[in-house]
Parts: sequence; structure tokens; C-alpha cells
Amino acid sequence: MSKAIIEMKKIEKHFGSVIALSGVSLKVMAGECLCLLGDNGAGKSTFIKTMSGVHKPSLGEIYFDGKPMNFDCPRDAITAGIATVYQDLAMIPLMSVARNFFMGNEPTKKIAGISFFDHKHANEVTMTEMKKMGIHLRSADQAVGTLSGGERQTVAIARAVHFGAKVLILDEPTSALGVRQTANVLATIDNVRKRGIAVVFITHNVRHAMAVGDRFTVLNRGKTLGTAKRGEITPEELQNLMAGGQTLASLEGSLAGTV
Amino acid sequence: MIEQTASQSISNSTPDEPQATEKLDEPQATGKSDERVKTRSSFRQALIGPELGGICGTILVFVFFFLTASDSGMFSAAGVMNWSVVSAQFIIIAVGACLLMISGEFDLSVGSMIGFSGMSIALLAVTFGWPVWLAIITTFILCMAIGALIGWVVTKTGLPSFIVSLAFLFILRGLTIFAAIATTNKTIVGGIRVAAEGDWLAPLFGGKVFTGVFQWMGNQGWIDTFSGGLKKGQPVVEGIPMLMVWAFVLVLFAHFLLTKTKFGNWIFASGGNAQAALYVGVPVNKVKILMFMFTAFCACVFATSQVMEFGSAGADRGLLKEFEAIISVVIGGALLTGGYGSVIGAALGAIIFGVVQQGLFFAGVESSLFRVFLGTILLFSVILNTYIRRMITGEK
Amino acid sequence: MKKFKLLTTAALTMALAVPMALTSMSASAERYVLVSHAPDSDSWWNTVKNGLALAGKQMDVEVEYRNPPTGDLADMARIIQQATASKPDGIITTLADYNLLSGPIRNAVDQGINVIIMNSGTPKQARDVGALMFVGQPEYDAGFAAGERAKGDGVKSFLCVNHVISNPVVAERCRGFAEGLGVELGDSMIDSGQDPAEIKNRVLAYLSANPDTDAIITLGPTSADPTILALKQNGMAGQIYFGTFDLGANIVKAIKSGIIKWGIDQQPFLQSYLPVVILANYDRYGVLPGNNINSGPGFVTKDALGLVEKYAGEFR
Repeated sequence: MSKAIIEMKKIEKHFGSVIALSGVSLKVMAGECLCLLGDNGAGKSTFIKTMSGVHKPSLGEIYFDGKPMNFDCPRDAITAGIATVYQDLAMIPLMSVARNFFMGNEPTKKIAGISFFDHKHANEVTMTEMKKMGIHLRSADQAVGTLSGGERQTVAIARAVHFGAKVLILDEPTSALGVRQTANVLATIDNVRKRGIAVVFITHNVRHAMAVGDRFTVLNRGKTLGTAKRGEITPEELQNLMAGGQTLASLEGSLAGTV
Repeated sequence: MIEQTASQSISNSTPDEPQATEKLDEPQATGKSDERVKTRSSFRQALIGPELGGICGTILVFVFFFLTASDSGMFSAAGVMNWSVVSAQFIIIAVGACLLMISGEFDLSVGSMIGFSGMSIALLAVTFGWPVWLAIITTFILCMAIGALIGWVVTKTGLPSFIVSLAFLFILRGLTIFAAIATTNKTIVGGIRVAAEGDWLAPLFGGKVFTGVFQWMGNQGWIDTFSGGLKKGQPVVEGIPMLMVWAFVLVLFAHFLLTKTKFGNWIFASGGNAQAALYVGVPVNKVKILMFMFTAFCACVFATSQVMEFGSAGADRGLLKEFEAIISVVIGGALLTGGYGSVIGAALGAIIFGVVQQGLFFAGVESSLFRVFLGTILLFSVILNTYIRRMITGEK
Repeated sequence: MKKFKLLTTAALTMALAVPMALTSMSASAERYVLVSHAPDSDSWWNTVKNGLALAGKQMDVEVEYRNPPTGDLADMARIIQQATASKPDGIITTLADYNLLSGPIRNAVDQGINVIIMNSGTPKQARDVGALMFVGQPEYDAGFAAGERAKGDGVKSFLCVNHVISNPVVAERCRGFAEGLGVELGDSMIDSGQDPAEIKNRVLAYLSANPDTDAIITLGPTSADPTILALKQNGMAGQIYFGTFDLGANIVKAIKSGIIKWGIDQQPFLQSYLPVVILANYDRYGVLPGNNINSGPGFVTKDALGLVEKYAGEFR
């Protein structure tokens, strides 16, 4: 097995007296898709926010590429190569695709000593990157609001990949999408994984997870219930785990050795 | 079991894969027609921007006043200068309000800031006898510091800027009246023109440019000249006031900042969705604070020009100017909730506002009806702009 | 499409409605513009408007009334410039702030437009800007006269309720009153704001904090009306020495019922009526009175209320 690109060790996060995460450990390898499953309130959001630098863990360590990391803000995580695509917050619908694509990483060119936003470059790059993902834009100037939900997710993913993400965290990218758009996004995930990028795919839809996942980790009440490889677990078992692990005991056999 | 689900999901995605290839094939298959669509769309794009409403409105307003007030002196040199100066005033504060609104915030303290900065200059220069240039520079620094404070409070507390700047509307107005009464026992401080004589900085705000050209035009009889008094023989319009130069420069600056720079993208992003912008590393708070400072700067330019032109500062100057600025920006197509708008649009909105305000006087309309017109224009421009915006952004 | 139709219809309606709102213009008549400094909310200026309209009718000239909607004097300067550009035969305006308004007024005069200063300003200032004359009440003198009168009635301390703190000319009334009374103005003048409820509460607060106040001076109906209510509420109505500047319907009633001792009438009707008559006759026959006209102060007391009562708020 290849080396973990990111490793989270016994992460705990407390909000006042509430313990949101109590000792979650996780490894992600380059070029694999790890599905993080869990019901609402299981701690998925808190966990990925910790991974992407929004929250600082109360306890525990994060290793990135084998080195311990300490993220003070999302910017640090992005610089390190951890990009997060949030379901609702990925794109600004009123802004053009190119402006969204380069938000926070605007290309500039100097004219008479003044830095200008290089619109030409931005538009070209956006068009080509989107074509690579299989989306044909009318123009890079068109507002993101004119795109479908799946296309917006794809723009966000393409953006993260373009700016050198080594780990791509996707927060419920498919939960608000229709069947065809979901398939589009899943195809994009597959595309990204094949380029050697580690994907952390958060979802509570077992079928979506099964479609692209290499490994599956289930979170419940701030704890991991275990990690299973593709082919080692059935969707029904995953579903049961997410539901609260009533059938956990009967599953232990199949999970043994992978936890 | 697993296999079944896997095949299910594969069958789920299979219908899509041919579709994706279809999509990729599209440009090749329909290459020609696609080119044609593209040129048409770029023409449409040039036409349909946030400014469209402003452009239409400006044309409408001018046509209207050409029909109703052309014989009233509205389009004589002095008349044109009159509504141009008023429009320029609106432009100066609208530019600041526009950028701030696009970055997602409001500043209701603009009017009070105008009164405050004017009074600050007057008190420092006249009552305390400072050199005028020092009074102006100190006031600019003071105003921008207050702007930064408002921005800091807004970003730190997360309170709506509507409330925070409303507080500063009262604080600044109260401080202005208090300072004026406490130091001079009056609420209007005059004598600035005398103090500003020979000052190097004051003409930058109160001066006029191209005076030679206008004198020449006066001599040619193209524009009216004074028939008596000290200025006999001089043209009634002496030159382009610096106020208009400032308006022009500020519009250019803000337009380039917004559309052509990295920072401009951050302004849009901060207002469009602050969280999303934050997640990709845009320093949202810094952007917002800077925009509050820029708004304060614009208010200060407005006040300084006014004080230098008229030679006095009053504690009640700039009353309700914040709304006039916001109205101009909204007429110009910006979205009240931020993330969308245009400086050119705001400038056109300010021109519409200024021309209507002065034009109604020229047209001889009963002055109490001014607000009726203002309200009507505001309503229709917002309806039109919303419609245009939906066409552009696909917003529902 | 439907929306566009709606918009076009609305635009057309607007375009049609406006010309109807225009004042009727007869080409030959003289045209005079009155520019005041009062915000839209100041009802006292209604008398001025009525006087202007009446004079326009009687003299058969065209008259227009203009004011800055918010009372911002810098906006007023722009309106004077606008009026000048529209080339009227005469401008009637106030000198609420000499520094600010003298330039625009001077420019109008220098373009051959006759200017008469009304209401605010002094005869000297009117002469300095090149105006034909001043029609109004010298505010300081009016305040001084009122102060002397109150002194004669045994008043030693007072409260001045100023609802237009931003207008220095009006504040002169308080200063004149204080000096006529022979006391320091000090903290006796309060900034009451324009809101009736606020004015009432501030007056109540001041009186409970300074119970030994002998007299109250209000500077117009805006501050007088709520003050009357305040005094009725705390039981001081009729006991405290209460004088006011300017008249209004409620003030007249209060004078009648003895709550207000006297009202100083600057007779605003005359301030707009006379300038129109004077300008029209000057333009037509070249005749001009030889001096400034003091439209006030006229003390209105309980004994002489007949016509005042009848026309309060309209012509008085």
C-alpha cells in the first residue's frame, strides 16, 4: 500500500462542553477515493473542517505527506494542497465562471507597473479546464448562476485540481442533485482520482459512495465505526452502520483487520 | 449483493457517459453554428450588463427633459454646469457606496461623515488656525480611521453593517454639532475661503480647471457672460470645478479596481458569498474594512470640495446623503445584498438622480413632487434591473 | 415580454403625467423664483408659499417656490444656481448662511437678475451681495426686544427650545433674548430635534432637572406645539412664562387660553408677498422703495387675536 498523503490521528474537537469528535483516526492515500459516511450530526462536517483548517483540533495530530501539520486558517491548508468543495459554498452564482474559477488565486499581469487581473488568461484556462472535465461552456464570462448544480460542483472541483490540490475534500457534492447531474459529478470524481489526487468524498448516500469509493469510513456520534475496503462490505451493512450500528456486532468479522 | 449494487450504479452512470461524449463532440459536430452563436452572444453580452438599466434610464431622462425643459435654460452652459455639478456630487459618494455595497455592506453614516469632515476642516483651519492643507490631510486621515473603525466593528462583531453604520450616523452627527457648538457657539463655521487663500492643497478640491477655454468661449459669445459687477465680461461658467474632475477620476479608479484587478474580484467575492470567498483564501474582512475606508474617503472628498467651494461648513451638511448615494447605486443596477453591480452603472444612476432633481426645477414642476418622481424612478429602475440581472445570472 | 409591456406602459404614463404637473406658463409674464432654506417638513413656510401664490395671482406674474428637500444649505446653493441658469426676472431668497450663499446670489445679481433677500440675513448682508433690499425680521433685534419685554415682566432665567440648531440665524433669537434679559445664554438653549415626541420629552426632562426655570422660549410652531403639550402634562401650563417666535394654529389657541403669553409674529406672508409686488413694479415701472422692510417683530397677545386666529397657518 502506498504512503498516506494525509493522516489524522485521534482527532478530538470540543465546542465548549459538546464533544463533536472524540478520537477519529483516518488515512487517505494518493489516487484513492475515501468515502466518509455518516448520518446527520455524526461529526462529518466538523471532521472535514478540521482537515481543511477551518477548525483547530482540540486534541490529536494531522500528518500531511508524513510531516506533522498545524493549520491556522483555511489558507494554510490550501497552500499545503488540501482543497475543500463545500456543497452550498463552492461558487458565487452572480459571478462569472472565470471569476469564480480564479477566486483567491487571480492571475495578474503587469501593465505600466500596475497589476491587472489577466482576464484573457483566466478565460482561456477556465475554458480548457472545464473542457477536460467534460463541460462545454458558452463563454467563460457566463455567470455561474446559469449553470446546473452538477456543473457548479464540477467547476469547483476543476478549480481545486487546477490549483494543485493533492487532497480534495468534497462535502456532500451530490446531495442536492438529480440523477444525471449526480452521475456527472461521480464521473468527475473518478476522473480526478485517476490523476493521482486523493479524494475524500463525504456523503450519506451509500449508493453514491459505492459507485466511486475505494474505501469507506463510517462516522457515528463523533467516532469512527471502522473502515472497509471496496468489496469487503455490502451496501446494506454500510447502511446499517450509518443508522447507528445496531448490527455492529454481527459485522465485526467482516471488518476485522481493516480497522 | 455488492456486485448488484455496483452494476446498478454503473448502469446509473452509463446513460450519462455517452452523453458526456456527446457534449465533447458538440463543438466539432456543430462547429460553424457554434461560432455564430458565440458572436451573437458576445454582442448580447456587451449590451446586457448591470449598466443596461442605467443607460436606458439616462437616455430616457435626457429625452424627457429635452422635450419638457429645453427652453428653460437647462441646456445652456450655466444650466448644464448646474446639473452636472449636482450629478458629480452624487457620483462621488455613489462610487464609494457602490464598491462597499458590492462587497456586501452598507454605510449609512455617509451623510454624517460629510457633515463631520466638513466641520473638522473648518474648525481646524479657521478656529484653531491650522494651515488649510494640514487641516485637510488630518481630516482625511481621521475620516478614513473612522471608516476603518466602522468596518472593524462590523467584521469583528458580525453585526449587520446597517445597524453599525446607523449608530455612526448618529454618533458622527452628534459629535459634529457638539464640536461646533462647544468651540464656536455656532453650527455654521465660515471664513474658510479666506483661510484657504494661497494654500497649495485647497485648489485641488475647490479650484476650477480649463478656465482659459471657458473665458475664450465667453469672449466668442458661445456662453453667457456676466453683465455687471466685479466679474463683468467673465463667462458665467468659469471652468470645470474640481468636484467634477474628482468624480471622473474616482469613477475611473473604482471601475478599473473592480473589473480589472485581483482586488476587484475579491470585492465581488466578499459580497457574493463571504464564506465561499473565505474558504478559497480571500481576506474578506480586510476587503470590507478597506471598502468602508474608501467610502469614508469619498465622503471626505465630497465634503472638502463643498467646503472649499462655498467657504463654510455646517453641522447639518450632508443630511440624508447616504440614501441618495444608495439610491444612485441601486438605480445603477447593483444588488442590495452585495456581490453584483457596476461603478459605471452607479455613476449613471447618480447622473439620473442629479439630472432629475435639478431638471424638475427647470421644468417648473412643483418642488414637493420631487420625491414622488424619485420614488417612481427608484421603483422602476429596480424592477428593470432585477429583470436584467436575472437574464445575466440565471438567478431565480 | 409581459414585463417589458408593463414597463413601457409605466414609462408612458409618467411621460404624460409630468407635463400636466408643470405650472401653466404664459409667455409674456414676468417670472420670479423664491428659494427658501426650509426642509419639506417645515410647515411654517406654507404661509410663505401662500403669500407667494397670492402675490403671483394679484400681480399676474409667474411664481415658483423652491427649497432643498432636506434643508441642506449646500443643496440650496445649487438651487439658486439652477434658478439663475433658468433666467428668471427676479429671485427672492434667504441668506441662511452668508458664507455659502453669497457667491451664488452674487452671480445671479451679476447676470442682471434682480434679487430680494427675505426672512434670514441682515440688511447689511443683503446690500453686500447686491440685492435690491431685505424684507424680514432682524432676528437678533427681535430676540432682544422679547428679552427686554420678559425682563420687564420679572423673568430671570429661561429655556430656549431650538428645533433648528443647524440654522445660526434662528439661534440669534435665543442670543438676543438672553442679552435683552441681561443673562448669559449658557446651557439655556437646547437642541430639541424636529420630532414632536422628542421635543416634548426633552422639554419635560429639562424642566424637571431645572425646576426654577422662569420662562420658556420656543422658536416656531415645530418646537412650540410639543412644548404646549409638555406643559399641559406637567401642570406648568399657564404658570410658566411662555413666549414664542412665529405663529401657528396651535400657538394662536394657546395664546387665547393663556398658556402662551405672547407670540412674536414676523409676518412671513409679507416676506414673500411684498418682494413679488416690489419686483413686478420695479420691472414694469422702475419704482422701488427706498429702504429695507421690517416685516416684524409684531407681538401678538391675547388682546389682539381676531384676524390672526382666522388666518393662522394660512396667511398668518
